[in-house]
Amino acid sequence: MVLAGLSGSGKTILFYQLRDGSPHQGTVTSMEPNDGTFVLHSELGKKGKIKPVHLVDVPGHSRLKPKLDEFLPNAAGLIFVVDALDFLPNCRPAAEYLYDILTKSSVVKKRIPVLILCNKTDKVTAHSKEFIRKQLEKEIDKLRTSRNAISTADISDEFMLGVPGEPFTFEQCRNKVTVAEASGLTSEVSQVEQFIREHVKP
Amino acid sequence: MLEQLLIFTRGGLILWSSCRGLGNALKGSPIDALIRSCLLEERSAETSFAHDAYTLKWAFHNELGLVFVAVYQRILHLLYVDDLLAAVRREFAEIYDPKRTSYDDFDETFRQLQKEAEARAEEMKKSKQAGRAPAVPGKKQGAGGAAQRDAKQKGNGAGGGGSGKDDGDGDGDSGKGRWLANGNGNGQEKGARERSHAPPGSVVVKGKENGGPQAGAFDVNKLQKLRSKGGKKSDNTKPASKGGEPKKIVKKNRVWDDSPSESRLDFTDPVDERGEGIVEAVAADQGESMMDKEEDLSSESEAEEEDEEVEGAKPGAKKKGWFTSMFQSIAGNAIIEKSDLQPALKALKDRLMTKNVAEEIAEKLCESVAASLEGKKLGSFTRISSTVQTAMEEALLRILTPKRSIDILREVHAAKEHGKPYVIVFVGVNGVGKSTNLAKVAYWLLQHNISVMLAACDTFRSGAVEQLRTHARRLQIPIFEKGYEKDPAVVAREAIQEASRNKSDVVLVDTAGRMQDNEPLMRALSKLINLNSPDLVLFVGEALVGNDAVDQLSKFNQKLADLSTVPNARLIDGILLTKFDTIDDKVGAALSMVYISGAPVMFVGCGQSYTDLKKLNVKSIVKTLLK
Repeated sequence: MVLAGLSGSGKTILFYQLRDGSPHQGTVTSMEPNDGTFVLHSELGKKGKIKPVHLVDVPGHSRLKPKLDEFLPNAAGLIFVVDALDFLPNCRPAAEYLYDILTKSSVVKKRIPVLILCNKTDKVTAHSKEFIRKQLEKEIDKLRTSRNAISTADISDEFMLGVPGEPFTFEQCRNKVTVAEASGLTSEVSQVEQFIREHVKP
Repeated sequence: MLEQLLIFTRGGLILWSSCRGLGNALKGSPIDALIRSCLLEERSAETSFAHDAYTLKWAFHNELGLVFVAVYQRILHLLYVDDLLAAVRREFAEIYDPKRTSYDDFDETFRQLQKEAEARAEEMKKSKQAGRAPAVPGKKQGAGGAAQRDAKQKGNGAGGGGSGKDDGDGDGDSGKGRWLANGNGNGQEKGARERSHAPPGSVVVKGKENGGPQAGAFDVNKLQKLRSKGGKKSDNTKPASKGGEPKKIVKKNRVWDDSPSESRLDFTDPVDERGEGIVEAVAADQGESMMDKEEDLSSESEAEEEDEEVEGAKPGAKKKGWFTSMFQSIAGNAIIEKSDLQPALKALKDRLMTKNVAEEIAEKLCESVAASLEGKKLGSFTRISSTVQTAMEEALLRILTPKRSIDILREVHAAKEHGKPYVIVFVGVNGVGKSTNLAKVAYWLLQHNISVMLAACDTFRSGAVEQLRTHARRLQIPIFEKGYEKDPAVVAREAIQEASRNKSDVVLVDTAGRMQDNEPLMRALSKLINLNSPDLVLFVGEALVGNDAVDQLSKFNQKLADLSTVPNARLIDGILLTKFDTIDDKVGAALSMVYISGAPVMFVGCGQSYTDLKKLNVKSIVKTLLK
């Protein structure tokens, strides 16, 4: 299970939230991936056999993007974290990153399910997940047309996204893409945990 | 005064912070800036990093994957920070446990370490100072832990040292004096060490009393230094401005001998944009530009080359016995020390330099890799040279991977939607190939159905305008020109206006080549950039350049930053590397340029015809560099 997203979207906090139930004393920009296999903190109290989850938090800094390729092929699912508070200025880079992920061959061939997580929803000025979803779809649509206009050999486009001629929506992806909300700081991570539990093989 | 000391993992979790309860109360989040602009850029071997009003120093613990960062005000010069970082690293490594995430008990240890480090620094300072008149006895104040050390010294020495503190290091002391006073406030738990004595007390008070005038004394010193620097600068600009004068003189024809003056030798065709003229418009279709062709990567195994290198590295690493080192490398328990790394790093540095990487860049890179490997445990069955090799490979990959998107086409489309033309300015020193590569870029853009317009802002070199005119005719694109001896900034502005009028998508602006030391020309360039705010400032550099690349790029960037009128100066956004076909495998110039400027290589020119434009293949460059 891979946590990816732009730098500053809150992945490391979410990682520690899921693992320990609290973000401790805060985080700084990650320089290395955080890799851990553990039982989700909220499930610790449950009885019965609980399978530990292998979670990897990949740094979002652009210089470290190649690290994502190391972990993607073995991923059972991808959580793409988006900063719901500071969304609009980062909309274009977030959409580009998401587009790159959705067009990677490993993601498409294995139909890795993707959860787009709108983080920092505890703040008042955070955008709603519907708004973010629509914005991302629009941006990816624009990216699609500009990439296709480039024709033949493009940079790293390995697969075409969506149906040509129609505006892009996430339903058109062959792998399942859903949107959810969470807040790393106040430990509102129930939707994330649900996603994880669904897709980690029991 | 130390603002904050932070301990965090390489994965990003903050383990301990000296500033409790306030969280990250520093302005502008300097820690993130440090990580982004310094540590991730492989500049971790530098000693300090300045950001806004703070200076940051750091230390690594590579084995445990921890980073220790100390933040303090930039105007203070605290001498004990390095010491403190090393001590903190030692202490924390002992109590560190990967499972634990809160280390409250470290507060006590830290405070003690801080006092000790300050005391040590003070001792060193005192031993350097000459004795002076004894200090004024002041109010008695219970000193903190530092008093323990001070009390051990002779009274005279302490008094003399105390008064002798006001030259040079005045500020650090006033800061320290202040801290000690604070330490008194909340250092009461160290009751055992509380003694009141005249000498240390006077030390503290001296620091406090003279805090005002001492700070003042420091400021005056600083002011004098600035003034002398300013004086030097004005000297430099004077001759340069004189150099600028002769350019305004109108050109006269040269008379070689006594022959009568001949008729005008100007055979330029009358200005004629879409001219059929003398040159026939060559069909713009010369085949696909190499930008669009994918490169095949041949994956050779590098294992054979590695063995040769080990032979060279081994004779150097004979500090421990040969048998023990072999045994340890098999068992995997050797901790890497700096002395072990030296031979391997030296070999690597020499290899990089033979590949035409600038010397200081190779040096800095090797130091950065050393900083990241020191203290790490060697994995079993690995040799030092292979660890160093992998670390260097990763570092090179990280540097050459672009930080920003190099997809120009996407940005052009974005600008198109906004209805504005996308402006690219080509800058560089003389003779690197700006005009030629400008034409290649125009050709490539044309192949993607983007309308291009050329702007001839090289109004200095003879024939520059005609050269562009010829290119424009062959590619059948419009060109905006105003002839020679005109102000390039104004020409560029009018060209952009013209482009938005006739709906061109991209404007390619050609500028005159200029040496990085030429002050008036650099000023003219920054005026052009400020006036027109282009979307992309492309620095054209040739791959043949050696150590001069560092000088060129840093001076260009510096001049653009200094002479800019807006707070966020436009710097070099991208690099175009030319004459790549002339170097076989000496590809180091690419690395030097990217490292020094942080800008990605957007295009690579590899020939002299229109199709010879490629993208930089990062993996193959890294492989070639380390071969």
